[in-house]
Amino acid sequence: MTPKVKTEVDCISENCPMPLVKTREAILRAEEGDVIRVKGTHPQSFEEIPMALDAMGIEILEKTKDGELWTVTFVVS
Amino acid sequence: MGNRNVYLDNNAATRVDERVVRYMDRFHESDFAVASSQFSHTPGIKAKDAVEQSRETVAKSLGAGTDEIVFTSGGTESNNLALLGIARGAGETKRNRIVISAIEHFSVLHSADRLAREGYEVKKSPVDGEGFVDTEALSRLVNDRTLLVSVMHANHEVGTLQDLAAISAIAHRNGAYFHTDASYSFLQIPIDVKKTGIDLLTADANMVHGPKGTGALYIRKNVPLSKIFEGGYQEYNIRPGTENVPGIAGFGKAVEIWDAEDVRRTALLRDDLKDRLVRGIEGTLINGPQDMKKRIPNNINVSFNYIEGESVVLHLDMRGIAVITGSACFSRALQASHVLLAMGFTHERAHGSIRFSPSKYTVPEDIVYTYENVQDVVARLRELSPVGKK
Repeated sequence: MTPKVKTEVDCISENCPMPLVKTREAILRAEEGDVIRVKGTHPQSFEEIPMALDAMGIEILEKTKDGELWTVTFVVS
Repeated sequence: MGNRNVYLDNNAATRVDERVVRYMDRFHESDFAVASSQFSHTPGIKAKDAVEQSRETVAKSLGAGTDEIVFTSGGTESNNLALLGIARGAGETKRNRIVISAIEHFSVLHSADRLAREGYEVKKSPVDGEGFVDTEALSRLVNDRTLLVSVMHANHEVGTLQDLAAISAIAHRNGAYFHTDASYSFLQIPIDVKKTGIDLLTADANMVHGPKGTGALYIRKNVPLSKIFEGGYQEYNIRPGTENVPGIAGFGKAVEIWDAEDVRRTALLRDDLKDRLVRGIEGTLINGPQDMKKRIPNNINVSFNYIEGESVVLHLDMRGIAVITGSACFSRALQASHVLLAMGFTHERAHGSIRFSPSKYTVPEDIVYTYENVQDVVARLRELSPVGKK
């Protein structure tokens, strides 16, 4: 079961680099253990955000895609 | 973020040297009086002495007279004071032309724009693909109606160093004054204002491990420059307002402790990063002079084929590496770098540009960490790019 999402970052209809910019801001403001969900529609960001999280050693809890809409959920460590 | 923090944005702001911070503290905590109170009380004399000591140190570093240095709030104010001040000071004159280069900092460009709105004729000299002012084109723009030629010494984005003596000669041959914005080259490259023929020079403490909010304008004796805002009679009645004593004192201390060996070492680190990027990442394009000796020692600017600078910068930041891009999305003006566009680059290349600027606080391990992460980020982004995949 996915833990409770503390922060939801809405990037729907926003193009690169905004989804990554907003994700970074959310991580900077979060505390360790916080769960963040980013949702958006920009296709490349759905690949770039997991790539950035991977480099930072942040665990991705869930990735979903429904048509254009995608979500990436992760826990800040 | 990341497992190492690497700051490579020293062409924007430098870390204030610990010795400067400690020296400045005194002027916040004990010797905090207003320097212009020197006639009234001892604390004022101490503050005034600190300001004058800094003035002497900054003047000496430029080969200038002590009474030719005016302290300001930084490079932007110094540039405004140079352009607007000379126009105000010139009074009624047939000289109504201002000539600048196309790659100046906004504080020069926008001051020139203001003068244009006031009736001055402003001409912009073109630059070549490496950012060097075309001196032949400049010669054609400067005439006997020119009041001022303003060309920056080192460019803030690509680090290109201009031939100040040659440009000064063009200005003076036509009876015009010559201003240079040396915010990014001050101390990095030794300058003698007398030997080079400079009438006005901008310096910024924040670029030399001094405090933010402090700068200086060198004003050669007998150059008719007027103050541009009203107030008291501080700074030779050219720059009114209570002196920023801690900032000015810190500026002087930063200049006093400046070590040319740090410049040499920083240049080696910059060269090492450049070599690694060019050799290790296919499609790395150097923006600005290809000859590293023709740019300031703490600057390298590159673009990577097929990817945008903004993505690279964000991914690097998330790995602890601070650099900047010339991309429009990251510009407050929301426009691609006017410097790179003036150099003839496409919007695509300007958007892809990334500036790395090390300092004396950069260590070799920072360069290796940066290179390895840039290589990884570029490779991954190219995999995502429809045109970057092999």
